[in-house]
Amino acid sequence: MSKVLLRRLLFFLPTLVVISLLSFLISISAPGDPVDRLLPTAGTSGETGLVSKRIMEERQAMRHRLGLDLPAFYLSVSSLSMAAEMPDFQNPEEEEAWRRLTQLCGNAKAATNVYQAFDSWLELHAALDLSVLPDSAYLLVRQSSAIVRSLRQSGNTDLILSSIDRMLDRYSEYEGLNELSDGAMNTRSAVDALGTHTARWKNLVPVVQWNRQNQYHRWLFGDGHWLTGKGAVETKGVIRGDFGRSYTTKLPVSNILRERIGWSLFFTFTSVLLAYLISLPVGLRAAAKPHSLFDRSSSVVLFLLYSMPAFWLATLLLMNFANPDVLKWFPASGVAPAGGFPAGTGWWGRITGTIPYLVLPTICYTYAQLAFLSRMTRVSTLEIYGQDFIRTARAKGLSARTVLYRHAFRNALLPIITVFANVFPAAIGGSVILETVFSIPGMGREIVQAIYQQDYPVIVAVFTLTGVLTLAGYLLADILYSVADPRITWKR
Amino acid sequence: MEKMSNSLSRASWKQFRRNRPAMAALWFLSVMLLLALMAPLLANDRPLYARYHDKHIFPALYPNKTYIFVLSDGSDEYVKSALVNWKTLPLEKAVWAPVAWWPGESDYANAHFVSPGGSQQFRDASGVLTEMPQKFRHRLGTNNTGEDVAAGLIHGARVSLSIGMIAMGIAACIGLLLGAVAGYFGDKGIHMTRGQWSTLIPGLFIAWFYAFHVRHFALTDALQAGGWKAVTSLSFSTMLFTAILLGCWWLGKLLSRIPFFQKGSWLPADNLISRTIEIIHSLPVFMLIITIAAITKPSIVSVMILLGLTSWTGIARLTRAEFLRIRELDYMQAGRSLGLGAARLIWRHALPNALAPALVSIAFGVASAILAESALSFLGVGVPTDLVTWGSLVNEGRQQYSAWWLVVFPGLFIFGTVTAYNLIGDGLRDAMDPKLRKQIRI
Repeated sequence: MSKVLLRRLLFFLPTLVVISLLSFLISISAPGDPVDRLLPTAGTSGETGLVSKRIMEERQAMRHRLGLDLPAFYLSVSSLSMAAEMPDFQNPEEEEAWRRLTQLCGNAKAATNVYQAFDSWLELHAALDLSVLPDSAYLLVRQSSAIVRSLRQSGNTDLILSSIDRMLDRYSEYEGLNELSDGAMNTRSAVDALGTHTARWKNLVPVVQWNRQNQYHRWLFGDGHWLTGKGAVETKGVIRGDFGRSYTTKLPVSNILRERIGWSLFFTFTSVLLAYLISLPVGLRAAAKPHSLFDRSSSVVLFLLYSMPAFWLATLLLMNFANPDVLKWFPASGVAPAGGFPAGTGWWGRITGTIPYLVLPTICYTYAQLAFLSRMTRVSTLEIYGQDFIRTARAKGLSARTVLYRHAFRNALLPIITVFANVFPAAIGGSVILETVFSIPGMGREIVQAIYQQDYPVIVAVFTLTGVLTLAGYLLADILYSVADPRITWKR
Repeated sequence: MEKMSNSLSRASWKQFRRNRPAMAALWFLSVMLLLALMAPLLANDRPLYARYHDKHIFPALYPNKTYIFVLSDGSDEYVKSALVNWKTLPLEKAVWAPVAWWPGESDYANAHFVSPGGSQQFRDASGVLTEMPQKFRHRLGTNNTGEDVAAGLIHGARVSLSIGMIAMGIAACIGLLLGAVAGYFGDKGIHMTRGQWSTLIPGLFIAWFYAFHVRHFALTDALQAGGWKAVTSLSFSTMLFTAILLGCWWLGKLLSRIPFFQKGSWLPADNLISRTIEIIHSLPVFMLIITIAAITKPSIVSVMILLGLTSWTGIARLTRAEFLRIRELDYMQAGRSLGLGAARLIWRHALPNALAPALVSIAFGVASAILAESALSFLGVGVPTDLVTWGSLVNEGRQQYSAWWLVVFPGLFIFGTVTAYNLIGDGLRDAMDPKLRKQIRI
């Protein structure tokens, strides 16, 4: 038994790796800069004035703390020109602009020089004594610092040079801005150097690097020791359940998930159990007398149920049974009264008070799987009925009941168990819609809300968790299968 | 051989025709397809034909045209088809579409959920509200902003049907190709010498590096510009990639003349493809689509591609099983002994006979693709919010449950289409699977 488990676990390892890679890929390609979302002071509003050196440094520190300055993956491929020390960047756009400049001339050092020139030009802005300047000059300085910061993100030499020329013209209108002119001239010569110190051949030489420190490793194992997690400062890593902080609430994502996962699992398991409990007798009875009235009517009903969109049925049920204008049998949303249970309600009162909230969602969670499972039961029982040992059992004079439940049922069970592996992920996927319609505070609703609010850490965490849960479902199906059928020895 | 497969498919068709629900589903889908194809003629806010100032015009056919009419006093009247309100124009004669509204077009005189049978109002040219003329009625009611439900249903058929077809088209291409390769070659069908291994594996890397990595910025700029530039840039990269790989292939062949590089091993195609199928199959697909849709710009095309890329595993699995069976058959042996190439054998001889199970899987796949798209539009995730689809209409019905027409009609359309595809899948399975045919007779 443990051998079976071990084998299957090993087998699922590649899938786990793929899920983790997908999640990581999604998390790093999410639009926007995490620093902007997590650091309230660091808006990228370029046009509003001087960003002080303090904020720039804060942003750089934040990038470093979140590990955003690390390479993305263990293996990274770059060209010889790019494989060099990079300057400190404040956002991904600056890094891309630097890469563009480097690609242009093939000389990383020249591109870095441009960025150093930008840096000192910006520092000159901050060093100016603004109080002695006329108001219009003050405005010009604010504008110029915004322009310099946007030039850091452009990566287009023509644009940079023409902007510098324009800035030089405008600086010359005022006295006391000579320092800025010097900064602009320095930058221009650094940009000009890009054209003279070229080494474009370096772009064509591939370099493969092994990065021991990288974002994926950090995301997966945290910034401490990879196995024990000791010494973790910022993140403990996804394998220890640390998905970072939510952009909207700033709370750890794992706390949010811990609150939410209960209802999702409750509905998933209840519905799968209910579906099995109802579908097995229905399928068996239909198979016992194929083409009888029961068989035909049940298969028509189940077929229609199978094609029914869950969100439609849910909306229809709410429209008819939770609607004051029609029938108000059940509450319309949530899993508890809006203000919570009144104080002093005992646990029994709580349970009976919750049940009305659960009826409609449970129906919606169950029906689709019910249809699928009954059809499977019927087909697999019919297949068993055609086999010799059933004929032998009948010939022995056993009653139809005994043949059905003792001989056919156990064998027909096998394909139905494997179906568990399909039913479980379907239930998890369905929870996204049903939890939204019924306002159930579960993971499905959480991911939809996170999508509306662009809260990427939560989205990625829910995806990863459902991936792992789905795999666990497959594993459970395999174990059940080997329990139900002792012939299976898992020798491949 | 041609005749054999012909008669097999004819027998299947005969069997299929006897399946009355499946035939009814086929008719239903044909009507839906017609509805989708003729949507602009069935629901349009411009008249199909009109006579204005003694000129015969067809505004529905030319949505962006500007009509110039010469009036009796010699002056000109300009009518911009896209901007003018045709309903209030004093047309001399007009033939209107059965539904005289465009999906997403707000009719503020009938905002806030006007029911199909209730009283509807019409704002005429002078701005006075009158009883709605019969030809302009909102036949299936309106939503909160006065958009016509019937128009949304008719145009929504385009979205739903095309999602099903294109997503499954992509899935069928991938699934059939990979399934055929895995089943036909197996683990010991493709032999590679050491020379080829040692050139092709680095060759893949080098080709990727020069075709895509070095050209990264050129490609992203071209893709952003879009249009012709994107096409030429992408195809240049693809050609470079293929050229480098081909070069490496020849180099490998050359290298294989050296005795050490002559030895080789099998490429385990079946194993590789089967493992890939298992991994993709065990991903939570709906969650994956939602997650990816969350980080990309909402677009119906990317939903189609995502659905296609994740739903090919069933097709590949069934095709692989068919190819495993077919490759051992006598006629394939005969083909091989005649010296036919693998590509020709697969394409001309094995594939037509292996299509049956894939077709069943495709029919069911279309049904679930339509369901998935409608669920996404219901949630408002991944699909542009201004696009009127069946799912988005049901979602609007949730705002006010007394507006039953917003829930019932679009839901029936989804339900009917999905049922029809499932019935066709069932009918195809019964018709083409001889094993099942025998079973039913028990």
